[in-house]
Amino acid sequence: MKKYMLKRILTSLFTLLAILLVLFILMQLMPGSPFNDEKLNDDQRLALYAKYGLDQPVVVQFFKYVGNMLKGDFGVSYNISKNTPISQLIQTRLPISIRIGGFAVGIGAVMGLVLGLIAAIKHDTIWDSLATVISVIGVSVPSYVFALALSYSLGFKLEWFPMLYSAKEAFQSSVLPSVALSMFTMASIARFTRSEMLEVLGSDYMLLAESKGISGSALIFRHALRNALIPIITVLAPLIVDLMTGSLVVEKIFAIPGVGSLLVTAIQSNDYNVVIALSFIYSAMYIGIMLVVDILYGIIDPRIRLTKEGD
Amino acid sequence: MPKESKMALAAAGEVPYVPSDEDFRLKNNAGEIAIDTNFAAQSFWKDVLIRYFRKISAVVGLVLIIFITAMAVVGPQMNDYTYSGQNLSQKNLAPRVKGLENLGIFDGSETMNTTTGSKKVNYYQEKELDDVYYWFGSDNFGRDIWTRTWTGARVSLIIAVAAAVIDMVIGMSYGLISGYFGGKVDMIMQRFLEIANGIPRLVIVTLLLLVLQPGMLTIIFALMLTEWVGMSRIARAEMLKLKEQEFVLASRTLGAGSFFIIFREVLPNIIGPIITQVMFSIPTAIFTEAFLSFVGLGIPVPQCSLGSLISEGFNSFTTHPYQIVPPIVVMALLMLSFNLVADGLREALDPKMKEM
Repeated sequence: MKKYMLKRILTSLFTLLAILLVLFILMQLMPGSPFNDEKLNDDQRLALYAKYGLDQPVVVQFFKYVGNMLKGDFGVSYNISKNTPISQLIQTRLPISIRIGGFAVGIGAVMGLVLGLIAAIKHDTIWDSLATVISVIGVSVPSYVFALALSYSLGFKLEWFPMLYSAKEAFQSSVLPSVALSMFTMASIARFTRSEMLEVLGSDYMLLAESKGISGSALIFRHALRNALIPIITVLAPLIVDLMTGSLVVEKIFAIPGVGSLLVTAIQSNDYNVVIALSFIYSAMYIGIMLVVDILYGIIDPRIRLTKEGD
Repeated sequence: MPKESKMALAAAGEVPYVPSDEDFRLKNNAGEIAIDTNFAAQSFWKDVLIRYFRKISAVVGLVLIIFITAMAVVGPQMNDYTYSGQNLSQKNLAPRVKGLENLGIFDGSETMNTTTGSKKVNYYQEKELDDVYYWFGSDNFGRDIWTRTWTGARVSLIIAVAAAVIDMVIGMSYGLISGYFGGKVDMIMQRFLEIANGIPRLVIVTLLLLVLQPGMLTIIFALMLTEWVGMSRIARAEMLKLKEQEFVLASRTLGAGSFFIIFREVLPNIIGPIITQVMFSIPTAIFTEAFLSFVGLGIPVPQCSLGSLISEGFNSFTTHPYQIVPPIVVMALLMLSFNLVADGLREALDPKMKEM
């Protein structure tokens, strides 16, 4: 187990470094300069380059950059808000994005489990078909379509929830974006839960448990669900990552001052440092989640660990 | 003598037990026998077709894809408008269709919400445009939404084809080669894959679009960098399952080269999972394009894709909701039907596989 964990952690670190290198190289290739002001003459421009360390050799820039990134010092924003440290820009936005993402994962996981359980227990009935239809729609309709539909119906027409995010009503205005984001998670988990539950319910140990006279709910929750839950943990990781992509659009639709909308603005205004910093944060979160899930999975299910070591 | 006493005597060993007619009864297994009929031998693909068309949702998906493709081909030519032609005097007109307008629907009127309440207005009548018909309405620049929607659908379909080709060429080959050669080759290729997979797709795509000019080719290139991972995993797993089997060994002893074994011996045997994976990756690719266009990094104006149409419609979707409905519906239907087809194919190609 230790060997497996060490291997996973090393791979993750290496990936992170590779990402930093890729980000750095891409940023070097980027068209346009952060100092586009026509009023600047060459001397002033050189002075600015010197100030931001852009005149040094690329290798030096890279190592300085890696060091700074790992310390959480992402540099300053060039364009969006001049000379504001990016960590400060992100500080206020990250909690909002994480809260909405967290709500979405929560709603999606709970609803998905319930839906999948109903479908599996009432297999081959109208409930099963209904749950399947809901999950197929949830998987195939993009989250921003849900976002627009919710924003139009519940936000604009019925006025149950605010259409746009406002910090004063943080909770109410998080409801619609979270629900819109959670649809994909919910649908995927429902499908997965259903198939896993069907497999577990058909297994010999369930037959044994049933013939020992264990009652319905204990049978489902203590014996079946526990075993079905293990593989579900693995699908959660990529789903959380999908949420990050979805959040970009959903944040735009509901005008949420989160990380996603910051990334979009940064891309459109050529603000290198902000794009690089956010890409790094997204990648770090992604790698972190994957690492945690892999290790967790290894602890819960020894079969995975053993086959992976045998690779 | 009653039966019980006969049995008791038999048990006691006094008289041998002679079974009588009433000890036997017919099993009534007509139902079981009926199942055991003979089928004419049929090819694998015919079998797949029969299984596929037995599933209603899969057929619906296929019909929808064919319909949308046909409309993407002929739709823009069905009226005189072009996708980029602007007519600022005819902007923001509600949908109006000849024939249907007499029924009270699609008659060009829309409900305006003002501070004093909502009222019904018909700009066609106000501007005296008696012979003007925008089937899906016109947008903020007076462009025909019908033409633009189907032109946009073309983009999504091209992306779908591109994604399928990328999957087949890059992902499949990568996985097959990695799985077949194993050892050091596999190790290096898998480490590379792990790193490539560790970078979020969002980051790759956005960075790439910053470096290159936004456009169809860039989007396809971005897909090329991100789309192959899932497919290569499947291809590798299938290859690992098959490469130790006898038919591969037989082919090798007959002198077949690696290339021949990989693509002519193993590939036809794993075509089922490969096709399924291709179909599942198409909706993701369509979504990626729409997502990029929505954020403003996709197809440049005046060209349009479903994503950019949704993005444009979004700006006025509370005042003119009809502008955003057609692209959204087409997009959602397209993704839904590709998913349905993929689901159907998976079950048709591999009936033994567990349901998911």
